[in-house]
Amino acid sequence: MSRRIAIGALASLLLSVAGLLGTVARAEAPTQNEVETALTCQCGCGLTVHSCNHVNCGSALPLKKEIGEQIAAGRSLSDILSHFENKYGEVILSAPTTRGFNLAAWVMPFVVLAVGGLMVVVVLRRWRSGEPGEPPPVSAVPSSAESGADRELRARLERELQERDT
Amino acid sequence: MSEIGRLAIVLGFIVAIWGAAASLLGALRRDKSLVTSGTHAAYAFSALTGIAVLALLQLLLARDFNVEYVASYSSSTLPLWYTIAALWGGMKGSLLWWTFILAVCNAVVQLQNRRKNRDQMPYVTATMLVTGAFFLSLLVFITDPFERLPFTPTEGSDLNPLLQNYWMTIHPPSLYIGFVSTTVPFAFALAALATGKLGDAWIRTTRRWALFSWFFLSLGNIFGAAWAYVVLGWGGYWAWDPVENAAFMPWLTSSAYLHSVMIQEKKDMLKVWNMVLVILTFALTIFGTFLTRSGVISSVHSFTQSGLGPFFLIFLGAILVISLALLFWRLPLLKSKNELESVFSREATFLLNNLLFVGIAFTVFWGTVFPVLSEWVRGVKITVGPPFFNQVNAPLGLALMFLMGVGPIIAWRRASWSSLKRAFAVPVIIGIGTGVIALVLGAGNFYAIVAFSISAFALATVLTEFWKGMRVRQTMMGEAPWVALSRLIGKNHRRYGGYVVHVAMVMIFIGIVASSIFKIELQTGVEVGKSIEIGGYTVRFDGIEDESTPHVEIRKAKLAVFEDGEQLGYVYPEKRFYKKPQQPTTEVAIWSTLGSDLYTVLGTYDPDSKVGVFQIFLNPMISWMWIGGFVMFFGTVICMWPSYAERTSEATSRVPAGSRTAS
Repeated sequence: MSRRIAIGALASLLLSVAGLLGTVARAEAPTQNEVETALTCQCGCGLTVHSCNHVNCGSALPLKKEIGEQIAAGRSLSDILSHFENKYGEVILSAPTTRGFNLAAWVMPFVVLAVGGLMVVVVLRRWRSGEPGEPPPVSAVPSSAESGADRELRARLERELQERDT
Repeated sequence: MSEIGRLAIVLGFIVAIWGAAASLLGALRRDKSLVTSGTHAAYAFSALTGIAVLALLQLLLARDFNVEYVASYSSSTLPLWYTIAALWGGMKGSLLWWTFILAVCNAVVQLQNRRKNRDQMPYVTATMLVTGAFFLSLLVFITDPFERLPFTPTEGSDLNPLLQNYWMTIHPPSLYIGFVSTTVPFAFALAALATGKLGDAWIRTTRRWALFSWFFLSLGNIFGAAWAYVVLGWGGYWAWDPVENAAFMPWLTSSAYLHSVMIQEKKDMLKVWNMVLVILTFALTIFGTFLTRSGVISSVHSFTQSGLGPFFLIFLGAILVISLALLFWRLPLLKSKNELESVFSREATFLLNNLLFVGIAFTVFWGTVFPVLSEWVRGVKITVGPPFFNQVNAPLGLALMFLMGVGPIIAWRRASWSSLKRAFAVPVIIGIGTGVIALVLGAGNFYAIVAFSISAFALATVLTEFWKGMRVRQTMMGEAPWVALSRLIGKNHRRYGGYVVHVAMVMIFIGIVASSIFKIELQTGVEVGKSIEIGGYTVRFDGIEDESTPHVEIRKAKLAVFEDGEQLGYVYPEKRFYKKPQQPTTEVAIWSTLGSDLYTVLGTYDPDSKVGVFQIFLNPMISWMWIGGFVMFFGTVICMWPSYAERTSEATSRVPAGSRTAS
């Protein structure tokens, strides 16, 4: 059971990474908004070209114009991003590329999650192999229609009701 | 006054070093007089940092521009409220403010524990005073807030105009209180490790402190988002800036701790993990302080670049080495019972919840430091911005929200398949139904539909818990619905207060999702008297008004807001030009409703053509975030409210033994 859970969790994580990388590298016709969000404004605002808070920004406005021209020329998202990367350097991209060392930026969170997930599975297995505890408390007023959670709630409320100030 | 302030921080530093040494020596030699001296030093440290803060405040209020800090962060025309806020508006003042909050926390801890935890207290005192001494050492030896200039400028440079906003007066204090108060659970954790008293005592003692720091971290983050929303003028509130991330990371690990500590309290498990989370949370607050003051990572929020970075790194390293060494030393004593009857149990969901909280914290950390790593490894500067954080964290956030729905109604120990089906049937139906309704109403975005479904599911599970508890009380006690509900909450503050916080989180989550995915925006020029249409609203540009004060020039646009032909009112977006720092800022104007915010920004205005350029955003449901913040406040207060048992126990402890016997 635990092995199945572990394999399932790993597969989900790998699919997530693949999905993310696929999103990053896809080659469909992009929208203006999409490209603006993928580029960082160079005015020092720290925001994307799309979000730059300077209405007449000396960096964002020319970039937006250039993005429009690139889209009008029928270029794909990855081509447009490569164009800006070649022109301004990697620093203009608002997210790391999926090449070389930068791949580590995308993969590492999921590696950590996968390792953490495996650790959770190992911990759960070890805990399950321990001695079982006391049987769960049974309500004084059992009801066949109640779930385990309901019984626990009723038992808890009964305990609370027995306190002095009720 | 600067001499008094300077003397106070020098004496404070000496007293902190003495107090820490006396406390440690007293504990090791079992010398009560040394321990008492350490306690007195803690109070003296608080008094001295208090004097230093008052001295700096007095210098600011007196506009003593001969003091470098006053000249750099205030001016003769700065309004009183912002003059007070200048206390934490610059790096030196913020470090003093930080130390003062720590000193207050220390004094409160000393008072709370004057008759209990006596074995642990010397270590707690030492830990807090060492931390205080570190911060004061920066002020005494490196960056003196009371430094005088060789000349007296006729005018100050003024506070950064972006900080001259009401949110800025409450955002940093809230965040600092959240950051600094994590020192208390950390100090008690270290004391537990040092003394070997690793039972639940330190957890019970620091339960409210952990919640207190989490609460203020939450407030700090929400207030910071609100500040960014109304000041930065880009229509958003969170840009995954390194400084925002620095505030978010300890909140995540602190949230993980608040959940996992319940497993230790109920099942005596996860003792090591809880220690790790407390240490990690404190270390992340120091890391965040390092980020904002080292200049290692550029940010619009950070203080000016300084030479303090290496000192923070050394302190951070020392914290991690000492605390992890103590933890490793005590591992044999931290063995838990470690029993689990089923993976379908609340214990298992809490483990997954911790995995996600810590996973998101790691993602934020990794994305924040990756530009520095890239520069080290490849010598190439890169940017890790919102697209990275959103893509990686969005699925994790959804999973966390789902677990938030599962946790409250899955039983401790074991949940059978049939009980799971019964417990989850209604919330799952509500969740799926909400998704279908969202789809029918035109929410074509996959993420939004899933997010709304999961939010509705999580909300339904919490409301189901309230409903069931209320019904049981009504049946068993014959109470009226409202009486049953209030007594249900009153009898178990932590549980139901926690559920109210979950409701708040759902509201905040819905606000984030709706405002991110369904935002409408436009930038356009419009002539006076003409209108702009956006998302059902009509905005008419009625003209420009100019104002001037000795402090600031204001250009204000008058915009009339209409919906379905009916005028709702006016909004006045502004362009300001602050005279001292010669800096323009944007003051947005918002027409806010539960459904959406009409967010208006004045770009430029040409008096000749009478054309104004505006950015206008329609941010759906964003006010749910701020209302969620209030609900969270309400829920946390319920959680922290003392229970009947605690109140009677405290009252009993205050009554002298003799009088108890006589009564």
